Amino acid sequence: MNSNLSRRTFLSGAAAFGLASQSHALALPQFLAQGGPESSGGLVVIYLRGGADFLNMIVPLGDKDYEAARPTLKLGGDDGVLELNKKWGLHPSMSSFKELWDSGNLLPIVCAGSPHRTRSHFDAQDFMEFAAPGNRTQRQGWLNRYLAATTEGEPDSFRSIAIQGLLPRSLRGEFPVLAMPSNFGGRKDTDTLDAFEKFYGAGGMGERPDEGDDILASGTVTIETLRRFQEILTQKTTGDFGYPKSNFATALQRISQLFEAGAGLQIAGLDYNGWDTHTGQGAADGSQARMLANLTGSLAAFCRQLGPRLKTTTIMIMTEFGRTVHENGNNGTDHGHGSGMFLLGGGLEGGRVHGEWRGLDSGSLYQGRDLPVTTDFRDVFAEVLRERLDFKLPKGFFDDYSPHKIGLFA
Amino acid sequence: MKIAAPTQDNSVPLTETERAMHVLSRLAFGPRPGQLEEVIDMGVDTWVDEQFESKPAQSGLLANHLSDFITLEMTPGECRNFTDVPLPPNAGREERRKRNQARRKPIDELTQAVALRAILSDRQVEEVLCEFWRNHFNVSFTKGYPSQAYIPNYEARVVRANVLGNFQDMLTASAKHPAMLHYLDNHLSRKPPSKAELNDIEIKARNASGSRDRGTEAAAIAAQRGLNENYARELLELHTLGVDREYRQKDVIAVAESLTGWTIHDGRKATYDFIFKPDMHVQEDRHFLGFSLRKDKEKGPGQGERILEILANHKGTAEFVSMKLVRYLTSDQPPSSLVKKVAKSYSRSDGDIPSMVRTVLNSKEFWSREHYRSKFKTPFEFLVSALRVTGATVTKPEVLGDALGDMGQPIYSCDDPTGYYDTAEAWLDPGVLAPRWELALKLARGDFKGIEMPDSFFYELPTEKGALRWMQAMIAKVLPAGASSRTLAMLFQVIQGETNPDFDELGPVALGLLLGSPDFQQQ
Repeated sequence: MNSNLSRRTFLSGAAAFGLASQSHALALPQFLAQGGPESSGGLVVIYLRGGADFLNMIVPLGDKDYEAARPTLKLGGDDGVLELNKKWGLHPSMSSFKELWDSGNLLPIVCAGSPHRTRSHFDAQDFMEFAAPGNRTQRQGWLNRYLAATTEGEPDSFRSIAIQGLLPRSLRGEFPVLAMPSNFGGRKDTDTLDAFEKFYGAGGMGERPDEGDDILASGTVTIETLRRFQEILTQKTTGDFGYPKSNFATALQRISQLFEAGAGLQIAGLDYNGWDTHTGQGAADGSQARMLANLTGSLAAFCRQLGPRLKTTTIMIMTEFGRTVHENGNNGTDHGHGSGMFLLGGGLEGGRVHGEWRGLDSGSLYQGRDLPVTTDFRDVFAEVLRERLDFKLPKGFFDDYSPHKIGLFA
Repeated sequence: MKIAAPTQDNSVPLTETERAMHVLSRLAFGPRPGQLEEVIDMGVDTWVDEQFESKPAQSGLLANHLSDFITLEMTPGECRNFTDVPLPPNAGREERRKRNQARRKPIDELTQAVALRAILSDRQVEEVLCEFWRNHFNVSFTKGYPSQAYIPNYEARVVRANVLGNFQDMLTASAKHPAMLHYLDNHLSRKPPSKAELNDIEIKARNASGSRDRGTEAAAIAAQRGLNENYARELLELHTLGVDREYRQKDVIAVAESLTGWTIHDGRKATYDFIFKPDMHVQEDRHFLGFSLRKDKEKGPGQGERILEILANHKGTAEFVSMKLVRYLTSDQPPSSLVKKVAKSYSRSDGDIPSMVRTVLNSKEFWSREHYRSKFKTPFEFLVSALRVTGATVTKPEVLGDALGDMGQPIYSCDDPTGYYDTAEAWLDPGVLAPRWELALKLARGDFKGIEMPDSFFYELPTEKGALRWMQAMIAKVLPAGASSRTLAMLFQVIQGETNPDFDELGPVALGLLLGSPDFQQQ
């Protein structure tokens, strides 16, 4: 066997990476140099793909218009809606969120969304994740823009990760972020990285690939970053945090492990697919109920696993648009406009439902059929960047938009 | 055989070797062993003509594989019956297993058939175009039962039957196919019940339960039954005009109403195929994209058919479909000059698909060096081209589906109605290469269970003239039109210093690296 290609132990492999590994093992990444991981905190962005029906997650209690619009889908006291206050309740499957509400770690936002009128999933997701409604030329995700804007010199690819096969658009762009499915890892995969290190690794030719060679660049980040993340993820975790059995839960567990390792992870992205409930959405039981139980149960376990770190962590849950106020003919709802968001974690102005609510009479609805948008998603993004990540937004961070302070954090 | 790095100067025309490689990369899933030389010898134009006109004979090996499958040729009704194994209330493990097996079979067989055809078929243009239309008119097993009963027939009747035919025919076939009707919910979309029907429902429910409230509630629930916009929106956005071009929300509703009653035949003696049900249909006069549709003129399904005809003949559709086809065949940034030419060819030929492809092939844009090897392979293209170029034998086709799943592109399982994207932007995230590298090494080392490398692949390499010659021959097999200078340098580094190289050991290593190299991810 050629000695250049024989399998290396992790240590000698890491040594071959020289700078890349050392800087993380021995010194804090530059962006943390002032205060360490606790000071700026972590951000987890959960995207519910398909246009999730927030109206059945944050339910207006005793609203006659709501009940009339949704004869089969409506939720009320008889269905076990979890009362937050006199005006609002949570879907009965979201009991895990009720606990987070009680401890002040949950902030629901009603009627959040994008001002753009599109009801196309794909455009709406692009516009939101690139934080540029109506602008098809912005192709760098809003989180990637933040990562790039806070980087001087060599980018630190440990700052962010997506636990899935492809990146969410919010993390796409010039700043290198790794997409890693939750089932990747183990010895076999280490062999693979060893073999390709010469080809793609920054150590291979003693030089970084030319700018613009996207395939090489992708490979280089893969080798450097995957190896380090794998090292963390192969360590056994202890503790039973009450995760449900699901892929979503597994991915969250991995994210928590990576945060715990204190290796400089700052932003994690994770998608949850399947919220396009045109048919068989169901009310207290049904497909949406099952998904909500998994979503909220997994996230509550994630918060438990984070432990004290939750105080400096923010979890954002968002979707591309809401759904029609009226249910459609098939026990479901069609594409709408305004939706909602949830923020979880420490430091929030918890214990209240944020956002202007105009009621559900048809005169108050967008185009007579959908929830209006009363909180622009960019205001939420800006506040999270500012308050959670201590980021001073430069002018023009959002194309043609200056965010307003809306007071989500205490 | 040329091994030096290709020139970077875009004004230099492609060499004959490069032209042959280009056509085999874009209108085929890469060359089979020796195929590049064949195409150079016969001439690129002859190869293309043969693909379109005299249709090369189909490989016997492929026919053998396909003859093992029993669900591919089934009608939706036959496949429904095949998968609809009844499960008694207290079913045991064995009964459950049998049912799951029956429901799994059409998925497995179709997945394997699609991959095997792409690898083995000599009608490569047809296969490359099938992959395009499969994604353009996406349907997905992820929708759940009974999609598996419908999709095998969708591949046959919608995609394959029309792939070298006409756009409007394919559009209409997809609109009327149970797989699409189910996937985008149109089979449920209907006119809300009339007052008389609601009264009827109320009385029935009141009598059955003896409660006035129950009657009122049942009527209120029934009153909500009605329109479902899902298919209408994607028909405009993804299948024809392109997003938010030419149409508004009111047009979505007009299309949805025109297509009410387009549903799946179920109930007694069900065919589980398309049926128009007049009692679900909203019959009205409409205006759509400047056309008046009179309800007394186009009756029943006629109005929906007229809508499809208007869409198929619309300039916006010609432009959108042409843009996508040019993007798929030429470049992630489709040159607008070529899109215009193809759109013109679409309009002139009434949506004749081969005419559009021919227009691409006759353009200077397609053959520009700028676009040579400029496309990043999708996982499907990567897997298929790797198996083709190595001449590997598929002994257990079921492993193909698993491999595609691992790389994120399982066949007919794209949840989103967009279908899988074909641009680098959608696939080239840091991390995506890792599973490709793993597959490359497994294949090269002979560890890919169910796939066998031919022994001849390594034996044919000359060992007597030293490591350099051996390596050049290896590169000529995997990247027959040449490798980049970086890849060359890296590979030479691997064998460098080997005074007495063990070629048996080096062979799989070098092959794995080449299949995982940046060069092989491009086409």
